[in-house]
Amino acid sequence: MKRFATIVTLAALVLLAVFLLYPLALVLDASFRIDGTGGLTLGNYAAIVKSRYYLGSIGNSLLCAALATVFACAIGIPLAFCLARIDIPGRALLLTLASLPLVLPSFVSAYALVLLFGHAGVVTTALRGIGIPIGSIYGLPGIVIVFTLTLYPYVVMPVLAGFQAVDASMEEAARNLGGSRPYVIRTVLLPIVMPAILAGGLLVFIEALENFGVPAVLAEDRPFLAVDIFKLFAGESDANPAAAGALSVLLIACTAIALLVQRHYLGKRRFSTNARSAPAKLPLTPGLRLTATIVSWGIVIASLLPFAAVLMISLLRFRGPVLTWEFGLGNYATLLSGSYRPLLNTLTLASIAAVATMLIGAPIGYVVARHRSRLSGLLDFVGMVPFAVSGTILAIGLIIAFNSGPLILTGGWLILVIAYVVRKLPFAIRSSSAIVHQLDPSLEEASINLGVSPSKTFATLTVPLMASGLVGGLVLVWITAASELSATIVLYASGWVTTTVVMYHAIEGTGAGLAAAAAAVLILVTAIPLLLINRRINKQESTVI
Amino acid sequence: MTAIRIENLTRTFGAVRAVDDISLDIRHGELFTLLGPSGCGKTTLLRMIAGFVDVESGSICFDGRRIDALPAHRRDTGMVFQNYAIFPNHTVAENVAYGLKARKIPAAEIVSRVDKALERVRLAGYGPRSPHQLSGGQLQRVAIARALVIEPAVLLFDEPLSNLDAQLRTEMRVEVRQLQQALGLTAIYVTHDQEEALAISDRIAVLRHGTIEQVDTPERIYRMPQTAFVAEFLGSTNMVPGIAGAFDGHNTPVAAAGTEFTVRGEVAAPGTPVLLSVRPEALQLRDGSGGSLVHARLALREFLGPVQRLHATLPDGTPIRISALGGQALDLLPGAPLTLAYDPAQITAYPAP
Repeated sequence: MKRFATIVTLAALVLLAVFLLYPLALVLDASFRIDGTGGLTLGNYAAIVKSRYYLGSIGNSLLCAALATVFACAIGIPLAFCLARIDIPGRALLLTLASLPLVLPSFVSAYALVLLFGHAGVVTTALRGIGIPIGSIYGLPGIVIVFTLTLYPYVVMPVLAGFQAVDASMEEAARNLGGSRPYVIRTVLLPIVMPAILAGGLLVFIEALENFGVPAVLAEDRPFLAVDIFKLFAGESDANPAAAGALSVLLIACTAIALLVQRHYLGKRRFSTNARSAPAKLPLTPGLRLTATIVSWGIVIASLLPFAAVLMISLLRFRGPVLTWEFGLGNYATLLSGSYRPLLNTLTLASIAAVATMLIGAPIGYVVARHRSRLSGLLDFVGMVPFAVSGTILAIGLIIAFNSGPLILTGGWLILVIAYVVRKLPFAIRSSSAIVHQLDPSLEEASINLGVSPSKTFATLTVPLMASGLVGGLVLVWITAASELSATIVLYASGWVTTTVVMYHAIEGTGAGLAAAAAAVLILVTAIPLLLINRRINKQESTVI
Repeated sequence: MTAIRIENLTRTFGAVRAVDDISLDIRHGELFTLLGPSGCGKTTLLRMIAGFVDVESGSICFDGRRIDALPAHRRDTGMVFQNYAIFPNHTVAENVAYGLKARKIPAAEIVSRVDKALERVRLAGYGPRSPHQLSGGQLQRVAIARALVIEPAVLLFDEPLSNLDAQLRTEMRVEVRQLQQALGLTAIYVTHDQEEALAISDRIAVLRHGTIEQVDTPERIYRMPQTAFVAEFLGSTNMVPGIAGAFDGHNTPVAAAGTEFTVRGEVAAPGTPVLLSVRPEALQLRDGSGGSLVHARLALREFLGPVQRLHATLPDGTPIRISALGGQALDLLPGAPLTLAYDPAQITAYPAP
C-alpha cells in the first residue's frame, strides 16, 4: 500500500515539476532579464511601475475582479438562501440551470453582449432607431456584468451547501432561547455560512482576475492585465516577453495572495456538515414567495439569456457586421466551408486531455486523500498551483520551456494537451479525493483482510466505487477543455486551430456571423454532454439512495 | 483452531504509546476480549494482528508461526468491522463470496459454501439482494458470514455491535458467541462495553494507556479486580478513600467516610491510606443488626423496574450508590436513615494513588 502511494506521489511530482514548475520558473526568470541580451535586471518591474498604462492595467483588472466578486455575492447569497429555504417551483431544474454558467464558455457570453449591445448590436441599433442612445458596454461595465453573470454559481454552490448544513435544531435552539428570526439569521446562520461565502467569493475574484477571453472581447483598447500579457508576448508590433513575464509574476502574486488569505481564514473556521435534519422551508406569504420565485428564476434566466441569444443570432444572416432579420444557415456554412479541422481538433484535443487528466488526477486524488505524509502534502499543494496560474501564463511558460532544448513540443498537438491537463488537474484531483473521502476506508481493509492484495483492491474495488464520480469529472474536464481559449490562443499552431481560435479571430476581424456560428457550436459542444451526464448522475443518485 | 502468542508488542504514534510492550497468550478456540475505554490501544492491537497497523517491535505468532511481517491480505484472518464494511457495489452473496474468490476456490464450491454461510447466520435466500435493502442487524450478519466463510485461522471483531440498538445488541452477542463456539474458532473481540465483554468472553484483557491491567475470566475480573482501574471500569463501583487499621488475624478495619469498613485479610500496614472498592450490590438493606454494618442516609431513589439504584451519603457526606431489588424500600423518602450490611470478602482495598 505504501509503495503504491510513494510511486504515484513521486511520478506525479516529477510530471508537475517538468510541465508546471519548470515553465513557471522560466517565466519568473524572464521577468528579471534584459530582453535580447539576457543580463539580470529589475528594469522590467521598474518600467511597469513607471508606466501609467500598465498601472492602469493592473488597477482595471483588480477593480473589475473586486466588483465582480461583490456583485456575484450580492446575487449569489440571496439565490442560495432561496434555493435552500424557500419552496420555489421548479427548484431542481433551477439548481441544474444555475450551475450551467460555470461550464459554458464565458467569452461567448461576452460576445453575446457585443452582439446585443455593442456598436452594431441588435438592441443598440433598435434603440438608436427610435432615438434612445445607450451607453457603451465596452470596458468595465460590460466585463463586470459578464463576470457577475458567469461566475455567481461559485458563490451559490458552497453557500447553498452551507445553509443546508445548518441542522434544524441550531435554529430551533436559537429561537427557543428567544431570538427573533432576523436575529437568528444574523447570529447563527450567517456566521455558519460565512466561510462558504468567502470561499466562493475568492473563487470569483481569482477567476475574474485570470480570465483572458472576456476582456479580450470587451476591453477594446482599455488596458487589462490578462490581455496585455498576451499582447506583450505574442503581439506582432510591440512584443516584449520580458515585460510579459513581469506582468505575469504580478498577476500570479495577486491570485496567490488571495488564495493564501482564503486558506488562512478557512483553516481557522470549519462548520460541521453532518446535519441530521435539514431546516424546514420558511413559511411565507404568497406574495413574498412569488417575489422570491421571480428573483431566483430571473437571476438564472438572465445569466443564460446571452447564450440563448447567441444561438438565435447564429441562425440569422449577417451583411458585413450588420445583422439582418433573415433566417439561414449561412453562418454555419461559412464556418464549416473552410474546413472541418477546427471542430475536429477541438473534439480530439478535449477527449485526449480529459482522459489523460482523469488518469493522472484520480490516483493523485486517492493518494492525497488516503495516505497522509509529508510527500503527499507537498503533492497536494503543488497540484493546486495551476489554479493560481492563468492559462496564458502557463502557455507562455510552456513555450519558453519547450521551444528549444532536449524536448521540443511547440507547434504540435501535445503541447496543447499538456496545457489542458495541467490546467484541469486541480479539478480532477479535488473531485477524485472528494469521492475517496466519502468511501469508508474499512471497505478497502475488508477486501485486503479477505485476501485481495492492495493494488488489486484499488483496481477492482476502489475504482469501480469511484467510477460514477470519475465519469462526472471526465465530462466536466472535457467540456472546459473544449472551450479553453487563454492557453490555446498562445499555443496553437497552423495545423491545430480549434473552434475557440476560429471564434477569437472572427471577433478580432469582421466575421461577426462566423463568430456567432463558432460560439453556437461551442455552446452545443459543452451543453449536450452536460445534459447527458446530468441525467445519468440523477439516475445513479436515485439508485444508490 | 489457532493459538495466538503476542510478545512484547509495541506501537507508538508520535509521542503516544498506543500499544506499550504487550504480551498475551490466546488459547485454541477461545473468545478473547480486549476491553478498555477509548484510546486504550485495544483497536490498535487488533489492527496490528490484522496487519493494518505496522508492528514497531515485538512479534505475533499463529500456532508458533510468525505472521507480523506478512502483508494484511495473506494473514488469513476474518475481520468483522464496526461499520460492517459491506461492499455497496456487490450483492449479499457476492460479498460473502469475495474472500473465497480471492482464494481461487472453484465456482461450484463457492456457491455451496456461500449458501451454507448465509444459512448459518439466518439469512438464507438473501443472496441476490443489494446491501442497501438490508437492515443494520442483517448487514451485521452478512459481515459475520463473510468473515466465517473463508474459515480463517482467527476471527477478529472490532466493536461489531456498537452500531446496533440496545435490544439487537444483546440478541446478536448471543448469536456471535454461539457461532464461535459451534465452529470452534479462535476469536479476538474488541469492545468498550463491559457488560458485553462479561457476557461473551472466555477471557478478558482490560487495557489502559496501551498496557494490560489484568487478564482473567469474566467472573474473576469482576469479583477480584487486581487494580482500582479494573474495579472501577467493570461495573460502577463505589471508590471510598480510607486509612487502614490493625489486622486482627482475620479482617482489617478501615476508617473511611466517617465510619469504619471491615475488609477481609491484611490490607496494608496500619495508618496507610487505601482506596476501597464497594460494589453497589455488595451493600444490602437491613433492618436489624449483626454482621458488618455501615449507616448511610438516603439522598435519591431511582426506580429501574426489577432493581432500584439508591443514592445515599455516608456519615461524612461521601456519596455512595446501592443496588436494591425493585420491591424493597419503596416507602423510603430522601433523608431516611439506611442500615447497610455487607460481606467483608466482597470489599477490595487498593493502595491509594
